[in-house]
Amino acid sequence: MYGWRGRIGLLVPSINTTMEAEFWRIAPQGVSVHVARISGGRHGTPEELRGMENASKQAAKDVAMVEPDVVVYGCTSGSFFEGPEWNRKICDQLSEIAKAPAVTTAGAMAAALMAGGHKKVDVVTPYVDLTNERLKQFLKAHDIEVVTLGTFDMLDMFDHAKIEPGEIYRKVREIATPKSEAVFVACTQLRAMEVLDSLERDLGKPVYSAIQATAWQAYQAMGIDPGVTDCGSLLRKLSEPGVTEARGKHRKSA
Amino acid sequence: MTKSSYRIGLLVPSSNTTVEPEFYRALPANVTLHTARLFLSRITPEAILKMVEDLDQQSRLLASADVDVIVLGATAPSFLKGAGYDREVIARIEQAAGKPATTTSTALLRALRFLGAKRVVLASAYDDKVNAIAQGFLEANGFTVVAARGLGMVDNLAVGRLGPDSAYELARGADHQDADTMVLACTNWRTMDVIERLERELGKPVVSTSQVSVWDALRMIGYRREVPGYGQLLRSLAAEGRLAAVA
Repeated sequence: MYGWRGRIGLLVPSINTTMEAEFWRIAPQGVSVHVARISGGRHGTPEELRGMENASKQAAKDVAMVEPDVVVYGCTSGSFFEGPEWNRKICDQLSEIAKAPAVTTAGAMAAALMAGGHKKVDVVTPYVDLTNERLKQFLKAHDIEVVTLGTFDMLDMFDHAKIEPGEIYRKVREIATPKSEAVFVACTQLRAMEVLDSLERDLGKPVYSAIQATAWQAYQAMGIDPGVTDCGSLLRKLSEPGVTEARGKHRKSA
Repeated sequence: MTKSSYRIGLLVPSSNTTVEPEFYRALPANVTLHTARLFLSRITPEAILKMVEDLDQQSRLLASADVDVIVLGATAPSFLKGAGYDREVIARIEQAAGKPATTTSTALLRALRFLGAKRVVLASAYDDKVNAIAQGFLEANGFTVVAARGLGMVDNLAVGRLGPDSAYELARGADHQDADTMVLACTNWRTMDVIERLERELGKPVVSTSQVSVWDALRMIGYRREVPGYGQLLRSLAAEGRLAAVA
C-alpha cells in the first residue's frame, strides 16, 4: 500500500494551491499525502473562517477513509481566529472523526515557537488588520509577544499563493528586528518554505513558516523523520536522536 | 503549453489511497495536483451512485483553486450506467465548476482509440458484477473484450493494500493472443510500477486506469513532452500530430 510508512490526511481550504504540493515535495519514501478540501470562501472574513471549522468535519470524514496516521488542518487563520480553546476544539473534533492524532497550523505554530523557547518573535503574514490582531492574541495566550508584524495586507486568500518566495524573503528582512528571537511566516498559501534556509543564514536566528511547522508536528506525531535538510532548522530537528522514536506510536497494519 | 505552471484538479473516492501517489510520481515538476474527495467505501453500484451525488459540491471546491482541468479519477463511477454515462458525469462537473473535465472511463476510451485498439483483455480488481458492467461499457463503445478477469474485490481500501505484483500476475494470467491491448482497471489498484514490464513481456500496449487519467489530464492542458517509465501511452504525449486527432 502507498503510505506504508505513514499516511497524512491533509485538510486544506478549498482555495489553497500551495500546501498539497509542498507536503508532497517533502514526503519521503513510504509516506503519502491524501487530501480533502474544506469548503469556505476566499476572503478570510470572520464568517468564512468560523464556517471552515464546521466544514472541516466533513473533510475529515472523507479523509478518515484512508485510515490516516495523522490528520492535519492546514490553515493558520482558520485555527487561531477564535483563540486557543477553539483551536483545541478543532483538534479534538478532527482527531475523533479521523481516528488519528490531529495537528492544526496554529497549534503547530505555537508548539514550534515554544519548543524553541522563544518569547519575542517577529511575524510576517498576508492578512488584514483584524486577522493580524487575532494572531497576536493567540500567541499572547501562549506567552509569546509579537515585536513587529509585517503584512502583505491582502484580503483575497487565493491571491496569497501569487506572492513569490523572493518577496517573502525581502519582507522578512525588511521587518525583522534585533529584539526578536525568531521569525514566523504565517499562512499555508505562502511559499515560504524554500527561503527559510536563506533567511536563517542571513538573519542568524530561527525562521519558521506555517507549512513547515505543520509538517514538523505531523511527522512528530507519526514518529517519522522525513530527512528534510533544506527547509529550515525546525525540520532538521526531526533527525536528532530519539526525537521521532519517542513520539511515534506505530500502527500495527499496513 | 503557454503558462509556466499548471494545476490538475482530481476528484477521488474517499477510500482511494493509490491514485494521488500515482499521479504525483508521473506529473512533471511544473504541474501540481489538487484533490477533492467523494465519499465511498465499497465498490458496489449502490455506493457508487450515492458517491456521485457529492460531485457538484466537490467540483466547485476544485474550481475555487482555479484548476486548469478536473479529472474524476475513478473508473467504476464513470462507467456505471453504460455508454455515454461518462459524458453525463463530465457535463455535471463542467457545469458545476466551469472548468474542462474528463473522467477515467472517458480517458480510457480516448487512450484505446489513440492506440488503435480493437480487441482488449480486461483485467480488474472488481467482482464479477462490476467487471461485467466494465466489459459492457467497453463493448458498447466499440471494443471487443476477448477475455475479462477480476480479483473479486469489493472493499476499496483492501484494493489499495494490494501490491503491484497482483496487477502483474493477473495481467499475465488473463492475457489472450487475440488481444491487441491489455486494460488494467481500478484507480485504487497499483499498476504504474508494472506497465513497462508487462508491455515488454506481452508485446502489446498496456493501459491502466491511473495511467490513462494522467495522460488525458496532461493532454488536455497541452503538455507535449514524453513522460517516461509508465508505458508507451505516456511517452506518446510528445506526439503532437497524433494527439491533435484525439476527440
